[in-house]
Amino acid sequence: MIVVNERTRLEWRDGMTAQDVLDAMGYRFSLITVTINGEFVPKDDYDEHRIPDGADVRAIHLHHGG
Amino acid sequence: MADKIKITIDGKEISVQKGSYLLDAVKKTGVTVPTLCHHKDLTPTGTCRLCLCEVEVRGRRKLVTSCNYPVREEIEVYTNSEPVVNHRKILAEMYLGRWPNVPAIKYVAEMCGITESRFTSNLTDENPQACILCGRCVRACREFALEKIIDFAGRGIKRHLTMPFGEVDPHCIGCTACAFVCPTGAIEIVDDLNHPLDPQMIRDHGMKVNAEMAVLDKDQCRMREVGTANIVDVMDAYDLLPVHNYQFGTHPETWRINSKMLKARYFTQGQADGCWKGCSMACAKTIDDFELKTGPYRGQKVCVDGPEYETAAGAANMGCFDADFLAEFNFYCDTYGIDTISAATTIAFVMESFEAGAITTEHTGGLELHFGATNETLELLHQMADGRGFGVDVGQGIRWLKQKWVKEYGADPDFLHDIGMESKGLETSEYVCKESLAQQAGYGMAIKGPQHDEAWLIFMDMVNNQIPTFEDKAEALHYFPLWRTWFGLMGLCKLCWNDVVPADNYATDEPHKIPEHVDNYFKFFEGMTGIELDESKMLDQSARVYNLQRVMCRMLGYGAREDDHMPYRAMGPVTVKEYESRAERYDKQLKEIIGVDPDGKITEERVGILRRYREDQYEKVMDAVYIRRGWTRNGVPKIERLRELGIDLPELVVIVEKDQE
Amino acid sequence: MCRPKMSQRSFTESAGRVMSKILMKDLASISTRINAEFKQYKAMLMVCTGTGCVAAKGFDVRDALSRAIRERGLQDTFLVVGTGCNGFCAMGPIVVVQPEGIFYQKVSEEDIPEIVAQHLIGGEPVERLMHRDPVSGAINRTMDEIKFFSKQQLIALRNKGLIDPENIDHYIARGGYESIRNVLESVSPDEVIKEILTSAIRGRGGGGFPAGVKWQSAKEAALERKETPYIVCNADEGDPGAFMDRSIIETDPHTVIEGMMIGAYAIGAKEGFVYLRKEYPLALVRLQKAIDDARACGLLGKSIMGSEFEFDIHIHRGAGAFVCGESTALMASMSGQAGEPRAKYVHNVEYGYRDKPTVLNNVETWANIPVIMDKGARWFASIGTGDVTDNPWGGSSGTKVFSLVGDINNTGLVEVPMGVTLRDIIYDIGGGILNGRAFKAVQTGGPSGGCVPAEKLDMPIDFDSLTEAGSMMGSGGMIVMDDRTCMVDIARYFVSFLMDESCGKCTPCREGLFSLYRTLTRICNGEGREGDIEFLEELAKTVNETSLCQLGGTAGNPVLSTIRYFREEYEEHIRNRRCPAGHCKALISYRISEGNCTGCTLCAKQCPVDAIAGEPKKIHVIDQDTCIKCGICYEVCRFDAVEVQ
Repeated sequence: MIVVNERTRLEWRDGMTAQDVLDAMGYRFSLITVTINGEFVPKDDYDEHRIPDGADVRAIHLHHGG
Repeated sequence: MADKIKITIDGKEISVQKGSYLLDAVKKTGVTVPTLCHHKDLTPTGTCRLCLCEVEVRGRRKLVTSCNYPVREEIEVYTNSEPVVNHRKILAEMYLGRWPNVPAIKYVAEMCGITESRFTSNLTDENPQACILCGRCVRACREFALEKIIDFAGRGIKRHLTMPFGEVDPHCIGCTACAFVCPTGAIEIVDDLNHPLDPQMIRDHGMKVNAEMAVLDKDQCRMREVGTANIVDVMDAYDLLPVHNYQFGTHPETWRINSKMLKARYFTQGQADGCWKGCSMACAKTIDDFELKTGPYRGQKVCVDGPEYETAAGAANMGCFDADFLAEFNFYCDTYGIDTISAATTIAFVMESFEAGAITTEHTGGLELHFGATNETLELLHQMADGRGFGVDVGQGIRWLKQKWVKEYGADPDFLHDIGMESKGLETSEYVCKESLAQQAGYGMAIKGPQHDEAWLIFMDMVNNQIPTFEDKAEALHYFPLWRTWFGLMGLCKLCWNDVVPADNYATDEPHKIPEHVDNYFKFFEGMTGIELDESKMLDQSARVYNLQRVMCRMLGYGAREDDHMPYRAMGPVTVKEYESRAERYDKQLKEIIGVDPDGKITEERVGILRRYREDQYEKVMDAVYIRRGWTRNGVPKIERLRELGIDLPELVVIVEKDQE
Repeated sequence: MCRPKMSQRSFTESAGRVMSKILMKDLASISTRINAEFKQYKAMLMVCTGTGCVAAKGFDVRDALSRAIRERGLQDTFLVVGTGCNGFCAMGPIVVVQPEGIFYQKVSEEDIPEIVAQHLIGGEPVERLMHRDPVSGAINRTMDEIKFFSKQQLIALRNKGLIDPENIDHYIARGGYESIRNVLESVSPDEVIKEILTSAIRGRGGGGFPAGVKWQSAKEAALERKETPYIVCNADEGDPGAFMDRSIIETDPHTVIEGMMIGAYAIGAKEGFVYLRKEYPLALVRLQKAIDDARACGLLGKSIMGSEFEFDIHIHRGAGAFVCGESTALMASMSGQAGEPRAKYVHNVEYGYRDKPTVLNNVETWANIPVIMDKGARWFASIGTGDVTDNPWGGSSGTKVFSLVGDINNTGLVEVPMGVTLRDIIYDIGGGILNGRAFKAVQTGGPSGGCVPAEKLDMPIDFDSLTEAGSMMGSGGMIVMDDRTCMVDIARYFVSFLMDESCGKCTPCREGLFSLYRTLTRICNGEGREGDIEFLEELAKTVNETSLCQLGGTAGNPVLSTIRYFREEYEEHIRNRRCPAGHCKALISYRISEGNCTGCTLCAKQCPVDAIAGEPKKIHVIDQDTCIKCGICYEVCRFDAVEVQ
């Protein structure tokens, strides 16, 4: 089980990547900062970076309206 | 997405993104390669040839300029092989021979092991600030300022830099992007029209944003490409795009009016608008040669200024997913001097009222104002401008319409109040804040009415979950309105605060504030006035005006707790239909947050339970915000607060003294 | 677009045909009809109106001949056709009487009455106007007897001298547009590419890159990105002394059009561009007419010949820059930007014109394409050198058009199979060195190439052997030099040309060429220093290896190849202040040898600066201080009394 933004619980599976989490949450915005257990994950690594079970995942959107 | 390739640089293996430039990889291994024409924020051109490295591909060796050589296959790179070193020496001699006293040249020559040259000639220029033809300025003019004012002329050895016809071009506004990137100081800035105290400080910080726009925008908000229209796509994806009078947050037909459609078929121009000609964000977009189908200019081809996000979202709100309609609506609103937001939100209200039967064609003068009625909407617009028909009423806005319809047509006042998206008489702007308590307060508690220029907290609240408690929300509703009011007071655009973001923003302590950009604004202020600012000083400056505004609002009859509410449509599902369109989400909230089991309850009941809960939550947020702002429970500034800010003027005290607790 | 004053409308009989759409089935019948029309004439007089012959009043000859025939009422018996370049430019204006093939050279207006009366009416060809073998003196009556022509093999120039380039019917009569018709009817685009690959034809503009590989790459890129590719014809031809492309366009513009059509079909392009240098006004007129006619006949535009294929061609004019022959600079110029090249790590076949996949090929390459599709790739591959069965880089297939200029008897344009030796071209076809002087070197490949000395005369000409010898094929320019050519000055000439034409964007080319020029000038002025040769070599290598495009990338070749083969000449200039070829003005002096001088006073009269003093019948003397070394006295002296020292 992993927690996204301290609120949403997602079923964990082996080999889950940061991109998988974003896809599951429907997060498609371009200005997102992803950290896994406090560690920053660069955008280029989203589909390679593995997420451990029990991780605290933050997907912080930066957008502030038009 | 991340296609990686393994390459070897001087024997060291490194993994790089496919298509990235070799020089970036070389730098990552810690090797320094001499460069002159390279600039980290400009497209590399490979003209100085100093960054040459030997590259072995499929068994063959060749020399390439690493700055613009895209790595596309596995290669072996030699940054210091004998041919490379020897060629660099001769190149260094060439530079030194032509420009012997330019520090950047001497530095690079020394890097190559050269201090003397066999290339001295009648063309040798002793000036230490000579132009070395690196071309950075040309690129900066194009990529930062999006202009084409400075460029090379003359072939071969006669090559030199100039503006068209050798004159100072009137299009040049002195944005100084060229001087900023010039490595020798060959470009001089001559003029400062309004005499700031420290122009260099302003330029240095402004240039950072220009560079960010040139490099990062296309992967961030694409302001240069589609302007604020990019927000349509995002809001639709996150269920935040107002549809059918804020009932829903997304629609299957949004693709007809999103940024992709507008870019592919409509936008013809993109540049800096009249706000600031030198702006490198250049977010303004227009549609040229658009043929109007209705109204007084029917049949003419016009230039449509827009559409921006708000207008497109307004069209979605009215259910009018038609880009031709959108362009025409935009044009006529502009031409008539009608605000597109107020018009769209008002008409969306009219449409829902019509569909619910609160008004009929008898009242609308025959216009069938269903959601999506594009022709009727345009007709309504023309009526508004002409002062005839139903348009005269609609042009008065939601608050007026509600009052009339209740009084004269016997419409249900509760229903109209619930769905009429206005507060303090101003129509709401185009965001669905139903699922964000912070944004509901951001709208409801804004001084001028529900305009998001005070606060836009939807992502922070709803998505990031960064402000979970009332106090957190209150803190945000204290900071952001003050910050946003502040740069508005300074006459500075908001977009270069957070519509482009530095690459390392994620690593800062408060990334949602975009601290580096906030600091830019402080530096603009300091560069102009000589006054140093920090967050607390800025907040005080702003709070003085903010509280003054609130007192004036009180004076006008809009500035107390009862005025700071939003219609329930902004806070939750008004109707059974709305509830059921998101039943899973609302049932979950009932169960997990409110602690009530939805099973066995009919939808009307669930609507009621949710409503009471949410309304109560809103009251609690208001309490927290008033405390944070230093206002009374009734939402009026306390006199101590005015005193603290140094604006406890008798004229203001007299307005608020009867509200004190 | 400005039309030059010498624009001449085609005026052959059939030219007045109303242009109607040609469908596939119509080609054969048009061809039959035109050929039958030709057969009705007793003879056809093919008057060369390529630029070279035009400069020698070729239009006047054509018009005079036509007038003379009309005056005699013989216009139904004899047809006058203004053709494109025959190639034998040294002997222009040329008139060939077909079908006999009687070859007349250096024809002037004054010769017309004799031709009409004696040959056309009287049946007896005019020997006075025929070609004589420069060695044996024998008269060559027909083209076949003239070695200049007999040793050639014509593919790109197959129609030269046989058609009016401004009459599309003539092209059709010779089988024109049959190739594209057949392709449209029964060959798939991928099969076309395969055929071109198998033919192993390599770019004729100088790059020598296999055209089939280029087409395939562009098509793949277009399919992958779902974009429509472009076809471009490089007609910028900037090498000094090169006029192959000019001649092809002036002689047979339709073959270029047809070639481009086949290419467009193969890769899926809809638009083609010809980038034509500004300095070719006659080529422009002929090409534009050909395009207009093709359009009018439905051979360009939509539904070509009634098929679903659509393609059109536009001409884009150059503006006087050699560097615009470089593909990326050319495309920048077409886009309205300054003609400056860019890095080619990403090729044009991927991101070319307007950032779309683009196939750019030279005029001559396009001219070959219809013949390859008609006669087959294997046939084409069997001509030339090397083994290209599995690898187009394995040899040089097909023929090449060369422009033979300089100190040679038979100046002109020749097309020979790859693999013919330099000796064959210079001595057999070229007729040997002018004025019987000795051969010294031949410059091939223009300013990007190098000088090849006598010891390499038996080298077969193809892409790879020329490169190995330190030169290159280039676009086909061949400048023959006799023993009075100073190789240092030749290097200096080419460097000065390149220096003027360098765009200046990258440092090694811009600064390097300037420095090479200054150094070579110093040497030619007798101010050479020890170490200069080594400096030139070092610098030329750096310019070659570090420049951004192939202008700079080959700019060092004239210097390097002349040093390689004629180092002693450099050394003479530097160490002994001597120019062995007697050319560099600073190092020579003209003196009158007393033994031969007859005092005829001719030199004194011709001297532009009155530097020669002398009484009639007395030995003359040249005042060395006044003498400007123009060499006129040397040219005019009939007694070999003026010596160059």
